[in-house]
Amino acid sequence: MNETQIAEFNCTRCESPLESGDLRCAICGQAALNDQTVQRKKLAIQILRCTGCGAAITYDPKHQAPACSFCGDVVKVESIDDPMEQTEHYLPFTVTADEARAALRGWLDSRGWFRPSDLSASAQLTQLKPLWWVAWVFDAEAFVSWAADSNEGSGRSDWAPHSGQNNIQFDDILVSASRGLSLNEAAAISPGMNLATKRKTPEGADRDATLERFDVQRSQARQEVSAAIHRIATQRAQQHFIPGTRFRNVKVAIVLRRLVTRRMSLPAYVLAYRYKDQLYRVVICGQDIRLMVGTSPKSLIKMIAVALVVAAIGMLFLLILAAGS
Amino acid sequence: MATDLANSTSDQLEISCQSCGARLVLEAHLRSTLCPYCASPSIVSRPPSPNRPSPTFLVGFVVDHEHATKTVKNWVAGSHIFARSDFKAAVPELTRGVYLPAYLYVAVANTRYSASIGENYTETETYTTTDSKGKTVTRTRTVTKTEWRPLSGNHCCYVLDVLVSASQGVTNAALEAVEPFDLRALRRYADSFISGWLAEEPSRTQDDCFRLAHDETIAKVGAMLKNFMPGDSHSNLEYQTDLSHEVIDLVLLPIWTYAVRYAEDRPPIQILVNGQTGRVAGKVPVSAAKVTFAVVGVLLLIGILFLLFLAAQG
Repeated sequence: MNETQIAEFNCTRCESPLESGDLRCAICGQAALNDQTVQRKKLAIQILRCTGCGAAITYDPKHQAPACSFCGDVVKVESIDDPMEQTEHYLPFTVTADEARAALRGWLDSRGWFRPSDLSASAQLTQLKPLWWVAWVFDAEAFVSWAADSNEGSGRSDWAPHSGQNNIQFDDILVSASRGLSLNEAAAISPGMNLATKRKTPEGADRDATLERFDVQRSQARQEVSAAIHRIATQRAQQHFIPGTRFRNVKVAIVLRRLVTRRMSLPAYVLAYRYKDQLYRVVICGQDIRLMVGTSPKSLIKMIAVALVVAAIGMLFLLILAAGS
Repeated sequence: MATDLANSTSDQLEISCQSCGARLVLEAHLRSTLCPYCASPSIVSRPPSPNRPSPTFLVGFVVDHEHATKTVKNWVAGSHIFARSDFKAAVPELTRGVYLPAYLYVAVANTRYSASIGENYTETETYTTTDSKGKTVTRTRTVTKTEWRPLSGNHCCYVLDVLVSASQGVTNAALEAVEPFDLRALRRYADSFISGWLAEEPSRTQDDCFRLAHDETIAKVGAMLKNFMPGDSHSNLEYQTDLSHEVIDLVLLPIWTYAVRYAEDRPPIQILVNGQTGRVAGKVPVSAAKVTFAVVGVLLLIGILFLLFLAAQG
């Protein structure tokens, strides 16, 4: 989809942009038709005829379109538009492959006391792949009604009910659509993306970079974005609006306005390294070397040693207690 | 083309078939017809009025005649055990595939609610009982109790896709029974979609339909509120809903209508088939004899069990 197809016009009610082929606003249900129908002033009777053979045409459920009952010609109708999602913008790689490699070494060294002592020296980098992963980025204004139980004001029960309404402004919220990255990986590297650097084409990586594609249609994408808005609104209500420190049964109802969704491809390096015949994976943000997430081995000997020490301290404590009594 | 109008009254319209010239009488509530002599489909476009606006949307037929008939036959034969046997054996007669006028209503619902919210807690209590040896003993048990707290607040949401029948021939409850329609397949109305099919004009006033839509919307909000309440349980839920930003659009929905004539002395049963999904619904006539037999059978069984119980006691 190109940019001219997006934001052709906004819904007159909730001011969310309508997209090519939308007959109704996906957010508030307002009809979004260009007034193409001529309002009849007089009664008119008509027979619709096939342009090929002149016979009358009738709607055919098999073709889900009007068809000529004589020559079988199917009349072209406005198709129901539910296109596959497509990237509109790419963020460029600003981290080079060498920097990513070096960052991996640093990361392996900082894996804490439980890491094997030879981890950094023995780990073999087997793959370093630049990847443009796909995500939706949205802005919206939400009027959120919430109700929940929290510990604030509780009496005999641990919980007390609360309710309220607040406005939430969503700016540049990123929702992963990636199949290549897990939700955790995408969430960990997302804060490093500078959306102001968006480009029309992929830039800053080798030719062998993987370009992930959206694999959902527009209607499903809208559902996923809507679910994400619901999830984030629930989190924000807990963080900012509901009194108390512990929560349960957090329910939100949302009236959205001005929902603008952009489809982006975001840069990341996916690295695989081998340590003692086991493969581990690390993902590095393509725009911020500090943001990386992955798995690393733990030293079994160190873990056993710690367990033994803890057990010994425990035993000692019990012995002291026994001696005291 | 505003020609070929022979005569029109407020109830009926007399037109000439543009194919063979035959004179046809078209009922006032129809938007399209087929010439009985040459099968040419005619579409009537009337000037819109407040109670008869031009359709905005349409859902096209997906289920064809053959499939709909098969589905109805299966549905009639497989109706519940208390259905009349002559109904189960009856052959459904097709009336027609018809585009039914309905209003698609959306609104913003602003609701003020109040309720008592039940928050559970557990307490340990002592009680006395007799043990297996017949001695009175005191024991403890954990019981769950509920603390009721008042809650009031506001709930604001969009209510989308409320459909109400605009046809006098199909009640709103009958339409609801064959819903849902997949509104992702909604199309912009065009005459070519109804060509060769019966299409009805709205026969209910827009005010009536608005009222039906309001009622349905408020019921929907009530269902949402039940889910919205926190706590382990709730009671005394009361709410007052204001609807704003209302939009109502006329949509034509594909419906196959069947009549099942199962007895000479009974009116036929109307069965509707959703022309998009194939969902069937209708009112199944209950056999009084079967219900009586069932009740008598259950009573007899209870009597026998009671007698057996008495015999065992004796």
